[in-house]
Amino acid sequence: MKRADLQSNLAMTVTLIMGAMLFTTLFMGYAIYRSASTYWPPMGFAKVALGLPTFSTFLILVSSLFCYLARVATQARKVEKARLYLHLTLILGLAFMLTQGFLWSHLKATGVYVSSGIFASILYGFTWIHAAHVILGLGTLLYLEIVLKNTSDSTIRKVINVEKFWHFLGIIWLIMYFTIFVL
Amino acid sequence: MSGGYNEIHPEPTTFISKYLISFDHKVIAKQFLWYGIFFLGLGGLMALLIRWTLAYPGVPFPVLGNLLFPDSAGIVPPDSYAMLFTMHGTIMIFYAITPILIGAFGNYCIPLMIGARDMAFPMLNMLSFWFAFLSGVVLITSLFLPLGAASGAWTSYPTLSTMIGSPGAGQTFWCVAIFLFGISSTMGAVNYVTTVITLRAPGMGYFDMPLTIWGLWLTAILNAIFVPVLGAGVILLTLDRVLGTTFFLAGASATSGSGDPVLFQHVFWIFGHPEVYILILPAWGIVSDLLSFFSRKPAFGAKSTALAMTAVTVLSTLVYGHHMFTTQMSPLLTQSFMTLTMTISIPSAIFFANWLGTIWKGSIRFDSPMLFSLGVVFVFGLGGLTGLHLGTVTTDLYLHDTYFVVGHFHYTMAASVLLGGFAGIYFWFPKMFGKMMNEKLAKLHFWGTMIPLNGVFFGMLMIGYGGMHRRIYNPFVYDSLKRLIPINEFVTISAILMGLFQIVFVINFLWSLKKGPKAPNNPWEVGTLEWTIPSPPVHHNYDEIPVVKCGPHELGNPNLKTGRDFQYQTEELVQG
Repeated sequence: MKRADLQSNLAMTVTLIMGAMLFTTLFMGYAIYRSASTYWPPMGFAKVALGLPTFSTFLILVSSLFCYLARVATQARKVEKARLYLHLTLILGLAFMLTQGFLWSHLKATGVYVSSGIFASILYGFTWIHAAHVILGLGTLLYLEIVLKNTSDSTIRKVINVEKFWHFLGIIWLIMYFTIFVL
Repeated sequence: MSGGYNEIHPEPTTFISKYLISFDHKVIAKQFLWYGIFFLGLGGLMALLIRWTLAYPGVPFPVLGNLLFPDSAGIVPPDSYAMLFTMHGTIMIFYAITPILIGAFGNYCIPLMIGARDMAFPMLNMLSFWFAFLSGVVLITSLFLPLGAASGAWTSYPTLSTMIGSPGAGQTFWCVAIFLFGISSTMGAVNYVTTVITLRAPGMGYFDMPLTIWGLWLTAILNAIFVPVLGAGVILLTLDRVLGTTFFLAGASATSGSGDPVLFQHVFWIFGHPEVYILILPAWGIVSDLLSFFSRKPAFGAKSTALAMTAVTVLSTLVYGHHMFTTQMSPLLTQSFMTLTMTISIPSAIFFANWLGTIWKGSIRFDSPMLFSLGVVFVFGLGGLTGLHLGTVTTDLYLHDTYFVVGHFHYTMAASVLLGGFAGIYFWFPKMFGKMMNEKLAKLHFWGTMIPLNGVFFGMLMIGYGGMHRRIYNPFVYDSLKRLIPINEFVTISAILMGLFQIVFVINFLWSLKKGPKAPNNPWEVGTLEWTIPSPPVHHNYDEIPVVKCGPHELGNPNLKTGRDFQYQTEELVQG
């Protein structure tokens, strides 16, 4: 492997470990809150309707697929195709953020306010922190929109790293979907 | 391997690209050094204010008192006292030790000692400093807020740190500052880990790296893994404070679900225990190298020192519970944590014995870096041994939250890291700035630091053992503590003395920077790569990337016929 590729891989791996540690801490806290309470959701709250979160999950997973295709196309030196998939990834990413907005206003409409206790704290807090990372991810996708004009080694490295980060966000969301909304 | 980011970059020409947004690791190291020394002074001043209050409660602080506390006629008020020890801890740990040991030495030594032209990601390196700078600005700003800066201790336990315990924006600013600093640290960590793995000079295996690099590398790995844990903790704390979530607020009934203040302690110490090793590992590395260099002997068991440091790194992640023995933890857990904590003694004892083995029968040169390194051996020994009392559940229940704890962690973190940092500064100053420091003043600085330092921290151990709590404003309102007044005064006088002797260092540093005699390429006669090039090094460090042929500690080899008692790492090992 060329040194630049190795450096890029290593740095991205360390970055993803850092992100994973941040979310692991959150999930560890969640596990403790869940196991410490007799009722979940706590009295006075109902489970969140699964429709909207399921739709968000679908959006972010499909965007991950497009991101993968964008990387494959870049490596196959097909810039036009890669850019098309990149646009699709970006659009679906924005759509995911939109559904998150709907989720928050839906929660508010059903009487789950930010300050209504630990159940609401987790619903809002965790999705906010994830959304903040998604915004960061959208930023990197926008950056690719600018630099993905050729298929030089350096561009390929950038696409690979953004792809990894985007999959990471998808995986974190998937874990959140199953542990917070489904379970 | 070839290519990648190890090319010669053109030298910057404008003032801004050369000194402000420089990508050069040597300049960034100096930026971190100045930054750290500034905060070291600020944190030190706060320490003096704390000590003054504890020895002479109700007496105005001399000279600066009226300027700092005009409303109370120069006396430190109780709320400011809480703020002072909070900011003292925060500043010393995150804004003084971290920038000097990791920021300055990490940036300066890693590329030079492994034979690279710069870090793997120079721009990320630049960003790392400026994030730290931004964080420092936020922290300093918080001192001027209407209700003052954070005052919930550097550990920021809820409920002290929630809106109930700390109204006002100070604690929120603290959280933001720590988060920004975390971003800076993790950026540095990505860089250090990648650089050490990919940019070592040809021929340099991991065990051919100087132990300084081992220490810094292990530190970077710990930083990358555990700083994000604190990041998550302060994000949740900020959400609690600003947006009204209740992650760390207890109180709601069992059925409606409740936040958990103790959870923050878990999160904090999962980060916090590795953090103390993050701070000490670079100092261990530097000392392991310097003891060998100035004893004119190979480092005794260098490989086992490296492996022992690695073992401590791994174990440090498993022991955080010993900070929480008094939180009604299950005895099964406390005993597990106690056993794991005691296990750390084994690797620590290994490299400690190696240090002694290194100086044993060496032809020791008592230059200032060596004096400071020997100082570290002494104070770290004391700090480590007092740690045993706190890691043991039975004694910890008595000693918890007393000044004994303060004495212990100052011996390990403050004394060892401070002395290790000074050893590093005196050792690399000639390479960094191309000037020699004054050796007489350096020795005066050493004794003026070492003797009062032990007065301060050993005194703390004693008053702690005598039962004084670590966070009370005026201990002398309690009858049982009245007999500790003389020791408290002794500690304070020692602290003032130690503070005054730091002026010697500042004078020496600034004077040498301007007027110091020009440094030769290799003033200490050691063989690691950075001493093969001019002092200070040129912009791209190495015209030719060096080829490493032997280890970093080849000193005192009896087969050497070159007239020197050491050989450079670029030379073939001389065999008998």
